[in-house]
Amino acid sequence: MQVFKLQKKGFNEFLEKVRSSYELIAPIKEDLVKFEKINNVKDIHLEKNSYFPVKEYFFRKEETLFQFDGKKFITPKLKTPTRAFFGLRRCDLAGIQHQDKVFMEDVNDPYYLEARKNSFLLGYHCPSAPSEYCFCGSMNLEEFFDIMFYDHETFFLAEIGSKKGEFLVKKFSKYFSKTNEIISEVEKTIPGTERLEKKDISKLYDHKDWKKGVDICLSCTACTALCPTCYCFSIHDEISIKNTKESERKRSWSSCQVPEFTKVAGDHVFRQEREERFKHRIYHQLDYFKEKYNVNMCTGCGRCIEGCPTRIDFVKIINEME
Amino acid sequence: MKLKVGFYGITGCAGCLLSVIFNEDEILDLVDLVDLKAFPFVKEVNIDEKFDYVFMEGLVADNDDLKTLKKLRKNSKFLVSLGACASTGCVPAYRQYTLKENYEHLIYKKQKRLQDLKASPIDDHVKVDYYIPGCPPDKKEIVNFVKNLVIGKEPKPFESPVCVECRQNGNQCLLDLGKPCLGPITAGGCDAVCINGKFECWGCRGPTKDMNLDLMIKMLRDRGFDDKFIQDRMRTFVGLKMPMIEEYMCSTGTANRLKTSFKGKKEYFE
Repeated sequence: MQVFKLQKKGFNEFLEKVRSSYELIAPIKEDLVKFEKINNVKDIHLEKNSYFPVKEYFFRKEETLFQFDGKKFITPKLKTPTRAFFGLRRCDLAGIQHQDKVFMEDVNDPYYLEARKNSFLLGYHCPSAPSEYCFCGSMNLEEFFDIMFYDHETFFLAEIGSKKGEFLVKKFSKYFSKTNEIISEVEKTIPGTERLEKKDISKLYDHKDWKKGVDICLSCTACTALCPTCYCFSIHDEISIKNTKESERKRSWSSCQVPEFTKVAGDHVFRQEREERFKHRIYHQLDYFKEKYNVNMCTGCGRCIEGCPTRIDFVKIINEME
Repeated sequence: MKLKVGFYGITGCAGCLLSVIFNEDEILDLVDLVDLKAFPFVKEVNIDEKFDYVFMEGLVADNDDLKTLKKLRKNSKFLVSLGACASTGCVPAYRQYTLKENYEHLIYKKQKRLQDLKASPIDDHVKVDYYIPGCPPDKKEIVNFVKNLVIGKEPKPFESPVCVECRQNGNQCLLDLGKPCLGPITAGGCDAVCINGKFECWGCRGPTKDMNLDLMIKMLRDRGFDDKFIQDRMRTFVGLKMPMIEEYMCSTGTANRLKTSFKGKKEYFE
């Protein structure tokens, strides 16, 4: 992979140039760190990883699938501007990669594709684990980025990961200088993030220790909302008040942590017990998804632990299982 | 034929009826969708004979309330409980947590026409077909319900906790800030409006069926709130529908149950 050098001195100027060409989205800190459209590049916050995932920019919280005017269906005309995302950590990038598998490889989801296709992914390699809950080092994440920036004292090393990345280097060539430096495998790892021990959890489904987590679970769905890969949604119709024959079909985020998620006709609920729901999320993250796509759905970002009101650390629970 | 609809209120603050009217942009279309037979709060002429749907605000606090309620139940095919008073008792039901001698002299002995009946949500007395909870209920939820009934559908009530919408709205968890937020045990559908404004949830929409009450109480205790506070907070909007709070608190022995005495100065109210 090609490597370039960017001086830190001119880095904000580079970001400003990116911002004037595309919509720039990067983490900023308000109450919590979240990805927002940047108006001033000085606001960008890189000390801590984002509390909220970046997924809402591709897999929207709520969106219209189609409208019905009483006679025919009307598909919405979507027009997302070209966006550059900066400050994406390895876990954020892996989250996008995993959602791509669901929404672009399995099926061609036009809503996701439209939001996703015109985007540049500029990563920021964590110099150290940004949160005590991180465990991406245990998750075998694949390299997935357009450009990845490595933080050095006075400069960034930029590793190019795709044609889109090459395009950006050409477009903003003033800021990228050639270098002989290479990025070693060691530099690509993040120290202190190998928390999750390797275990075949498919044999541990009935283990008594899950109760440690279940007992302190509120089923509040913070874990699934904050997960960079959780992609479940529910669909509902909204009737027009002007004419009740007209309506809109919408989809919005949903969560496996509540009983309604598995409610079917006749009000039967498949996963009524909290324990079943609790385990379902973890098994989907670490087992079921892998069966289908050959990668873990979980990216090891630890957001579901950091955002949990009772800080249920399923990594610790699994590690302590005998 | 348009559906015959009536909006009525018994003991309450009329806030739920206001929630209907607060749909300023849609109110004209809304009254056009149905045959609005009665809405005494805003209409001069009200015909209360036969209804398809009756929306009932308020709780039963005296015999007149009960008479009105029973009559409307008889005259309607479908009764909707509108708001927290009708659905769970809410603040007006609070008097059941104190002894009669603490409040009787303040009003009931003076106002002869008021009879002191046990304050109770309407489903203690009649069958309720649908609940639109909240203090006040979400105005969009009311419009949505009416739209659905016009096309012959009954919308699914929102049964998941407030946290679902709260997290999607990108709010900071108030429990993490040490505030006594009841979001995790309270049914949502309100778009987490209070927490969006950084104010903790008081549970006005009632408990979720799936709530983890033991854990919620433990979390509040861990944050330094005593049992009296927790009990009062949980009673505020839904006490009458959460007898388990009373049982739970009683078993710990620290909170008072139905023995709360009136500590305010009497003359202040007289």
